[in-house]
Amino acid sequence: MQKTDEPAEGAAVRAPHAEAADAHAPASAAGPEDAAEHSWPRHWPLLLLGAAVVPGAVLFLVGRGLEEPAVQAWRTVCLSIAVQALPFLLLGTALSGAINAFVPARVFNRLLPRNPALAVPVAGAAGVVLPGCECASVPVANSLIRRGVDPAAAFAFLLSAPAVNPIVLVATAVAFPGSPEMVLARLLASLLTAASMGWLWLWLGRAEWLKPAPRHTGHHGGRSRWTEFRLGFQHDFLHAGGFLVVGAMAAATFNVVVPRSVLDTFADSPWLSVLFLAGLAILLSVCSEADAFVAASLSGFSPLARLTFMVVGPMVDLKLIALQTGTFGRAFALRFSAATVVVAILASALVGGVLL
Amino acid sequence: MKRPLQALLLVVSALGLLHATVFTDLYLRYVKEGMRPLLIASGALLLVLGAAEAWSLRKPTAPDRDRGHDHDDEHPGHGHGHDHSAPPRIAWLLLLPALSLLFYAPPAIGAYSASREAPKAVEVKDQDAFDPLPATSPLPMTLTDFTTRVQQDRTKAIAGREVLMTGFATPDGSGDGWYLTRSIFSCCAADTQFVKVRAHGTPAPPADTWVTVTGTWHADGTLGTGSADVALDVRTIKKVPRPTNGYTDALLPGAG
Repeated sequence: MQKTDEPAEGAAVRAPHAEAADAHAPASAAGPEDAAEHSWPRHWPLLLLGAAVVPGAVLFLVGRGLEEPAVQAWRTVCLSIAVQALPFLLLGTALSGAINAFVPARVFNRLLPRNPALAVPVAGAAGVVLPGCECASVPVANSLIRRGVDPAAAFAFLLSAPAVNPIVLVATAVAFPGSPEMVLARLLASLLTAASMGWLWLWLGRAEWLKPAPRHTGHHGGRSRWTEFRLGFQHDFLHAGGFLVVGAMAAATFNVVVPRSVLDTFADSPWLSVLFLAGLAILLSVCSEADAFVAASLSGFSPLARLTFMVVGPMVDLKLIALQTGTFGRAFALRFSAATVVVAILASALVGGVLL
Repeated sequence: MKRPLQALLLVVSALGLLHATVFTDLYLRYVKEGMRPLLIASGALLLVLGAAEAWSLRKPTAPDRDRGHDHDDEHPGHGHGHDHSAPPRIAWLLLLPALSLLFYAPPAIGAYSASREAPKAVEVKDQDAFDPLPATSPLPMTLTDFTTRVQQDRTKAIAGREVLMTGFATPDGSGDGWYLTRSIFSCCAADTQFVKVRAHGTPAPPADTWVTVTGTWHADGTLGTGSADVALDVRTIKKVPRPTNGYTDALLPGAG
């Protein structure tokens, strides 16, 4: 590399790494841009080159460290969570972009009962139609709110969609052969949690906890709907994708630092095991289509504890908290996730106590 | 984030996905084979998005170029009317998995994780489900089958039989023997579980070496009950290449 390249190149590298440390770090990303009408940065070929070359060079230099088996395992787990979730995230953001650009707001007003308290369970039950991971439901719920759906109903949908969709229920039935009551308990406890959280939001929720982000206000005059769709889709994907990577990193750290064999020490106490598996579901961040198999493998734990694992997992986990923070803001994500955990544990205990 | 950089980010992500699925089998290290069409479709979609973004920037009169101000990047995500074009800089993190796939893909989950995890619990099988073992010798078996036969089959059909199994080596720090291991996941490599058979009688191969071994049950405990040790007295051992999809507990095609 020539000496003159260095400033631009350094800037290109700093950006991604600064992100890892602090999302709100001041910009050092693209360098000063001239106020010319075209928005291509002046140094963009260099940035491109830097983005392609420098991370590789850095990786090569610290390569010895990266050969450590623990670091390799961390990278594998992190990458696999990101790769597994990406298609579902794309599906969700495409759907949310499409809702924004193509579906008029009055459609939702017609489909959902006018009374928010009634709209909550209806929206929760509607979660059945989105067959995807939880990553897909966050952007969709966000776009529903932006199209005028009551937040309480949108949150009920957000929570229930990943937990009660047909793929997940079939996976649960496969993972627990011969115990259909587990599938039923999961369905009921998830719906109960989703509806309770919706009602809780109606009762206690405050709009100012939500990040004001009126970016998408439906179709504008002067732009084609397709452009509207494409830009909304692109924005949401890039946004949520970054937070997905954060969540994957956090989950991978837990996965590698704490071996699963440590967990069995908690299996003996019935109440502790319920709380423990709820916490584990949050930390492991397994996608909802697979968590039934993980739950089935935690054979030392009571059915109730495993039910809690499957109810909490699709609603709150590291990856979801990261995604919600990005979409709705931190003030919301922390309160909402904390409340959801409590409600989900209570709902599981209630439904599990009756059925299991 | 500048819009050309967004286009770049989309294209690099797309290339990462397509590289790992279309041109190589890298994706098999992380997710199931069934994800391939979804990943290819995602890669293609991202490529189209990136291309569309780049294309729209080439036309100065494109109707969507409504960014008059240059300060968008100073305030990511804080109500700038309808600016779709300023995702927060956290989006840059997408480069890490993309570049990782393109240039520096980490290996499949292996001995390091296996040595830290308890073996996967094997399903309890109905006694009637144990068919008589075929007469071939050595008898090819999966590690799961072997475990089930040793710990559950009350007819003790496995006694004295020479079996042939393939897996990777996981060293055991605690002393004699090592583990012949297969990893299995149900969704992605993050939920990997391991089936392990303890191997006696040969020095441990280096960690993560794939080997095919033949041998007989290492008599310890009562065969056909949970007290039986899932272990093998190894007679022969041969290095084999890693199968394309290492995350299954299946017989190797051709290995018989």
